[in-house]
Amino acid sequence: MDAELAASGDASAFERLYRTHVGRIHSLVRRMLNDQDPDEVAQDVFVRAWQKLGTFRGEAAFGTWLHRLAINVILGQRERLGIHRRRYHEDDAMLETVAGRRAPVEMTMDFEAAIELLPDGARQVFVLHDVEGYRHEEIADMLGLAAGTSKSQLHRARMTLRRHLDR
Amino acid sequence: MSDQWTERLSEYLDGELQDEERAGLDAHLRDCAECAAVLADLKRVAIRARALTDREPAADLWPGIAADIGATTPSTGVPAARRGGHPGRQWSFTMPELAAAGIALMVLSGGAAWWLHPSARTNVGVAAKPPAPAIVAPASSRTRPRGYDGAVSDLERVLAEGRGRLDTATVRVLERNLAAIDSAIAQAQRAVAADSANVYLNSHLADTRRRKLELLRQAANLVTAVS
Repeated sequence: MDAELAASGDASAFERLYRTHVGRIHSLVRRMLNDQDPDEVAQDVFVRAWQKLGTFRGEAAFGTWLHRLAINVILGQRERLGIHRRRYHEDDAMLETVAGRRAPVEMTMDFEAAIELLPDGARQVFVLHDVEGYRHEEIADMLGLAAGTSKSQLHRARMTLRRHLDR
Repeated sequence: MSDQWTERLSEYLDGELQDEERAGLDAHLRDCAECAAVLADLKRVAIRARALTDREPAADLWPGIAADIGATTPSTGVPAARRGGHPGRQWSFTMPELAAAGIALMVLSGGAAWWLHPSARTNVGVAAKPPAPAIVAPASSRTRPRGYDGAVSDLERVLAEGRGRLDTATVRVLERNLAAIDSAIAQAQRAVAADSANVYLNSHLADTRRRKLELLRQAANLVTAVS
């Protein structure tokens, strides 16, 4: 098993793990932190994974463990950048404005691009809930907000994104 | 459409309403076509989100990771060893190497921004570069249409002719990044071939091609700079 080999210091095994998981991790970083260089953060995730492989017990799949580690690194970036709880509330007004506009057909954009345009709070809740499958209680715990705020952010994000669905 | 109910549609969709609220919204949906349409849209959004495909980075991150974790020690040949703290870089770079690495980083991180700015797209030069350090291109290329393939071909020729003037490590960095982009283009082409109507895939392919063009332009400028 590559995770065990990597934990024993086998860099080749770790490279295989990197090749297997880099797409998922890079996409997660890109969607969650769209104003930063995703390459740099994704690289940091793998470096930290290497350093923490000794704590991987094998009870969960390596991909699950790595994904959760990536979330922690991303949230650490949020803290470092000072994205605080109040940001979720400050985003509300902007989100209402964006959601209230119906995009003309010619302005219909790629769904990924539309996600990137969401305010930070709504985007992160949307990615964690609808893309990654976390529950509101887990998201609230991760992001340090009330579950009700997570629900309202998700609803607003969906209401915005429905205007960018392919018709 | 009722704001009272519209605000609860996501919770309804996710099965998070209490029985009484759900029954109330069920009844409302039977009479409100607009709310029913919004609910259908929200469901499509959720389905679309789950169907998003992951994309690999345009450039391979492994060399940087390997350097950070000490997996490669080219100067000593010492086997990989894990370090405890946050590791520093082990490589030392020549100036041209740093320039090449910087170019790659700029292209890969700035590609999207470059594409989003029409003023930058209309100029074959690099955004924020000083006025017109012209790319050295064969005279023949100036007289024929500047399609993508032609532009790439011209720039590759410039690079091939000038590579001898670049530090070998610089060439290695450039070639590694070009190979990564070529690989990404090949993947995107295969995806488009399988789903030619997919707007996202076509956009991704075009974006990846633009990144290659931009990297080649920067490389050609580097050749010019060291000439």
